Amino acid sequence: MFQTVTQAGRVFWSSAVLAKRALFAWLNPGLWIMQLFFMSVFQIAFFVYVVRYVQGSEATVAYVAIGNAISSIAYVTVFSVCNITGEEKQQGTLQPVLVTPANRLAMFTGRAMFQVVNGIATVFIALGYAAFLFGVNFGNTDWIALTVVITLTAFTMTLFGLMLSSVGLYLRTSMVLANIFLFLGLLVSGVNFPVTQLPGWLQPIGYAMPLTYATDAARMAVDGAGLSEMGGLLFNNAILGLAWLLVGYIIFRVFENLSRRLGTMEKY
Amino acid sequence: MPKLRAIAASFRHQYLHFLADPQWLIPNVILPFMITMVVLIMFQGQQGNFALYAVLGGGMMGMWGNTLYASGWSIQFDRWNGTLEEVLATPSGLIWIIAGRSIWNALVGIFNGLFILVIAIVFFNADLSMYDPVLFLLAFLATLLSLSALGLLFSSAFVLTRQAGVLTNGLEYPIYVGTGCMFPIALLPWWTNVLSYSLGPTWGIESIRYAAIGGYEGFATGYWGSMAIMAIISLTYVAIAIYLFRVVEMKARVNASFVRY
Repeated sequence: MFQTVTQAGRVFWSSAVLAKRALFAWLNPGLWIMQLFFMSVFQIAFFVYVVRYVQGSEATVAYVAIGNAISSIAYVTVFSVCNITGEEKQQGTLQPVLVTPANRLAMFTGRAMFQVVNGIATVFIALGYAAFLFGVNFGNTDWIALTVVITLTAFTMTLFGLMLSSVGLYLRTSMVLANIFLFLGLLVSGVNFPVTQLPGWLQPIGYAMPLTYATDAARMAVDGAGLSEMGGLLFNNAILGLAWLLVGYIIFRVFENLSRRLGTMEKY
Repeated sequence: MPKLRAIAASFRHQYLHFLADPQWLIPNVILPFMITMVVLIMFQGQQGNFALYAVLGGGMMGMWGNTLYASGWSIQFDRWNGTLEEVLATPSGLIWIIAGRSIWNALVGIFNGLFILVIAIVFFNADLSMYDPVLFLLAFLATLLSLSALGLLFSSAFVLTRQAGVLTNGLEYPIYVGTGCMFPIALLPWWTNVLSYSLGPTWGIESIRYAAIGGYEGFATGYWGSMAIMAIISLTYVAIAIYLFRVVEMKARVNASFVRY
């Protein structure tokens, strides 16, 4: 048992280190920094100006700016993580990876870990834009609560991305799926307006995404609420993340076995 | 004529590619679609032409989303498929091949506008009657060509880099903000206005609004003035793109870096 755990830990760590090295092997660090700093600012700007144009809307500039700052986490935690299996296929490395006896859960969660750090940095930069460019007042913010919300969300959204990546294992490309879920949060997760404003049939989709609880909790933290006041939101966020990880793991094993049996692992 | 033939052949080729694998439309227009849905919900209950405003903006965003991905990813797909050098070995300039692809993809981006139109009517009971359908159609087609010209301009940079995907992701929102497709650019900081005015699609969406919304009061240039400025800017894009394509094509040939990973 102890040996299994240490082996899984080794696989997890080496996958995390390798993923970071592999990212910068093809991505110019300058371009990565540009992405880190500029992806969120235009998204926030777009919706802030829409709100300024629509006077009398329920949403305010602060509501939209914080919502979009938090949702910017999806670029790295959903989009990049969802594409993990797709990129293995693209590079022709999926079979060599899956032929190893390494623990799948440790390997693929390890692969995604750099995006957790990346996601946390992305959100803090975006919140900086909300404060300095769009005048959101952070004077009452409970910074400990906000940091916990962002860190937790980076993990839970990464686990959600891993679940999508498992589905991508059996698709011709995971890019389509990654794009859909990258932007679905804008509509269903209370980023720009409360989830209750959605048609009834869309609301359950919103409540199944960790981002929905994260946007609400972040707004509470900015208004000065502490961890004890947002316990329910944090609990839902964490439970959903773990649930998506479990679902993703099951999907992964089913599709892995299916593609082995049918010989379709890298079929396009 | 040979250039036009190259554009037409590339247009047809891209159309056949699309039919072979139409799922690629989804990533290209999903962001404009989601944004338009969000904006329609935010505009709910507002007096005036807000729904029409959102639908027109959404239509333009869909065309831009698809054009941008086409210009960025078409070269990237050639790299992945190992066909970029073969394409460049033909006597037709790469720019005319990319132009054909861009025009097809801008055209396909209209699907996004159609989806939005149906949803706006069915779910939001929006009144989408056009003030002048003929002028609207003319402005819409001119904007489509203007977006293709802008996509062409950006795509010259994509010849040099294997990181076109990252760049295309980053160029979607700036154009949505800069052109004011969902809000008047007067709301933007004054120092950004010069950037907005230098974008052909800014004038395109303006002429579309003049044609679609009766009594619309936008730029003082009016419908025809906006169309003329858009035409001048778009031709300038094409001229710059021709020059840039020559430079980057030569650079990539000299460095032997077309498909380098």
